[in-house]
Amino acid sequence: MAPKNKKGQADAADESTSAPTLRVILPGDQLPPHEANLPTGQDEDAVSMMIDQRAPPTIKLGPGLTPMDDDTIISVKAGVLNHTDIGNRWWVESNQRRYVAAPGESVIGIVTGKTGEHYKMDIGTAQPALLPVLAFENATKKNRPNFNIGDLLYCRVAMANKDMEAELDCVNPTTGKSDGFGELKGGFAFKVSLGLARRLLDPRQAVVLRELGKHFPFETAVGMNGKVWINSASTAHTILIANAIKNSEFLSTAQCQSMVKKMVERI
Amino acid sequence: MTSVAATSSTFTFSAAAFQRLHPAEYFRKFVSQGVRPDGRLLSGFRPTTVHKSVVSTANGSSMVRVGGTTVVCGIKAEVAEPTLEAQDKGYIVPNVELSPMCSSAFKAGPPSEQAQVVSDAIDRILKDSDVVDLEQLCIEKGRAVWALWADVVCISYDGNILDAALLAVMTALTNVRLRKPTYDEGVVTVSGEALTEENSFSLTLTRTPLSTTFAIFDTPNNTLLADPNSAEENVSLGRITVTLDEKNQLCGVHKVGSGSCSPALIKSCIERAKERTQELRSLLA
Amino acid sequence: MARLDKSRTSSHQLRPFFTSQNLLNRADGSAQFDFGGTSVLCSVVGPAEVKIRDEKLDKATLEVLARPLVGVPGVKDKTIEQNIRETLEPLVLSGLHPRTLLQIVVQTMQDDGCVQSTAFNATMLALIDAGVPLNSILGSVTCMIDRKTNQVLLDPTREELAQAKSTHVFVFDNKAPPAQSKGDEDDVVMEDGDRVEGHVLFCESTGVFTEAEYFECYQVCYKGVQTVHGFLRTAVQKKFEKEHQQLQD
Repeated sequence: MAPKNKKGQADAADESTSAPTLRVILPGDQLPPHEANLPTGQDEDAVSMMIDQRAPPTIKLGPGLTPMDDDTIISVKAGVLNHTDIGNRWWVESNQRRYVAAPGESVIGIVTGKTGEHYKMDIGTAQPALLPVLAFENATKKNRPNFNIGDLLYCRVAMANKDMEAELDCVNPTTGKSDGFGELKGGFAFKVSLGLARRLLDPRQAVVLRELGKHFPFETAVGMNGKVWINSASTAHTILIANAIKNSEFLSTAQCQSMVKKMVERI
Repeated sequence: MTSVAATSSTFTFSAAAFQRLHPAEYFRKFVSQGVRPDGRLLSGFRPTTVHKSVVSTANGSSMVRVGGTTVVCGIKAEVAEPTLEAQDKGYIVPNVELSPMCSSAFKAGPPSEQAQVVSDAIDRILKDSDVVDLEQLCIEKGRAVWALWADVVCISYDGNILDAALLAVMTALTNVRLRKPTYDEGVVTVSGEALTEENSFSLTLTRTPLSTTFAIFDTPNNTLLADPNSAEENVSLGRITVTLDEKNQLCGVHKVGSGSCSPALIKSCIERAKERTQELRSLLA
Repeated sequence: MARLDKSRTSSHQLRPFFTSQNLLNRADGSAQFDFGGTSVLCSVVGPAEVKIRDEKLDKATLEVLARPLVGVPGVKDKTIEQNIRETLEPLVLSGLHPRTLLQIVVQTMQDDGCVQSTAFNATMLALIDAGVPLNSILGSVTCMIDRKTNQVLLDPTREELAQAKSTHVFVFDNKAPPAQSKGDEDDVVMEDGDRVEGHVLFCESTGVFTEAEYFECYQVCYKGVQTVHGFLRTAVQKKFEKEHQQLQD
């Protein structure tokens, strides 16, 4: 969802960080004006957000928030309301299992078909995504990469549009380098929720990966589409890592540490 | 949705083409003027006619015409075993058929969702509103009862099938004549001689509920179109059906689809339904 | 006045709620919702690939399948399917996922009255769990009028429903009522002088009842739905708190 920009000067009157408790909002909830750092003359409980015409502030809306016709902002997803003062950005951090492609996101796809110009990729979206055979490092008409059905590829969403199939690439279009994208050889892939995948990609939150790394080495690639690929020295370790990651979704840090410890002790 | 046709001077098309390309916008232009393409006011109903005893082989029958919608209802009585739960009660089974004959919108094969939903709606009105005291249909307790199959066949479909089908079923029920059977040691005998006052009886209806449907055309204005035809059903967002008996007691209020309705809107629907059902009752009498 | 359901003391009291989200492994979203002894499980798959026959070019296709407690789906289930689908269609922002399928399966697990309301609430939670974009959330309760006492009973059990002269299913959303809609000029006022509140999204009333009784049920259900909305909010909040506890440490 493209951030919607409202014209006017940025207003950062209230620099205090967001409340320590989680702000969970549901579809249909309105973003209250005093929370959106808007200069309003209304009382704190006012639910309708009237934007002051004299000094309209800039708000950038991310996923899960939509402006309505009457200048109110409502949530369309259930999730945790997030905010950064830089640019006065607001978004809803929600969790789901079905992937909806967004440009620039790294995903893990499975090759499901091959045509002259494209690979058909399953990235978990409603329609299969397309990966042009030329979207690889050093690929030319003569020198094409060769993948088989069932191969795993780590790629980036180059173009996503609700009316069309998503398009992927495995190359940085400006440098022509692969940037780490390409085939994932060996290992094991499985599916987790999109929320867990996002947390695994955030070093601050990926407690389970940090804990597992203390016991043995392994490789991992996490796609924003909820697919996780892991590879380690032995099958036993791979299975353990996969189970530990799946188990970690609803655990606190302490619970996660003891869970990993118990699992490692068992093998 | 754009209103290209009406405003652009270089690119125009006929009203018929406009209706086909932008059906909702076409209707909006009419509704904003307070009329509908078929000439009715927003609150206007289509001309309605009711005929009784149209099928000579049925025990009760009727034909109802509401504008372009025509339905025929035939009620056939059969001697059957009572159900285990109600040993002294007969039963009435309504069934609505929407075949490809009445509109190209329906496909051949098993009954469509709409046909099943309308059948179920009539069934619930008959049962929940106690339309017929089913003990009248008992021949011998625990042994034999009358089963009435009320089949509604739509001959021509032009919207608002529930109102037409319910009116047809109610008319046919008032029209039912059943022969008095004799029960003798497990054998039910129904004589084949001509119907007379002595050898037959009519059903006594506790009440005759009739329904009135309004289509919700737009939100949040909640413009109501009374008695919507098929084209209006396709462009509207929801509907409100109010069912009333002869004492103006409610036998059903059903609101479904888009647009949240205020209590006042529902109340106005009830008021308008009262007037409409009064008119329909004069046809039934 | 005493109820047939001995666990409750008041006629306007709801049965205890229970809910569980995300309990099916293969669905994109799922939820179970219980009103006392009535339980409905709902799964949501989508946005997924749609059959060409059902494809809509500008929005998602909504498909609702209702499964009864026993036996194969019948005519009654078709009515529930249509009611749920037509009520959800305006709620789901289906324009965001054109040419896709949103499949909702509603399975009755236990039936002690008010299955349709339970199904509405279970579906709502399952859609939230699946992350389907919605413009508001809905809540539903059922009430009935007792044949003998003419009393309005909220959330009746099956035993109580056998004594009903009419039953009423209501659905309300969590949106503030639209500022101006037709017919708002004259409020509906009940006998005791209270103005009837709330804008109804879906209602299905059957049986025999008067206008005053209808609006009394309307009001009782509107108040009941506020409790359901509060509960849905708490349920979703609990789930996100659990998910985010690693960040909190």
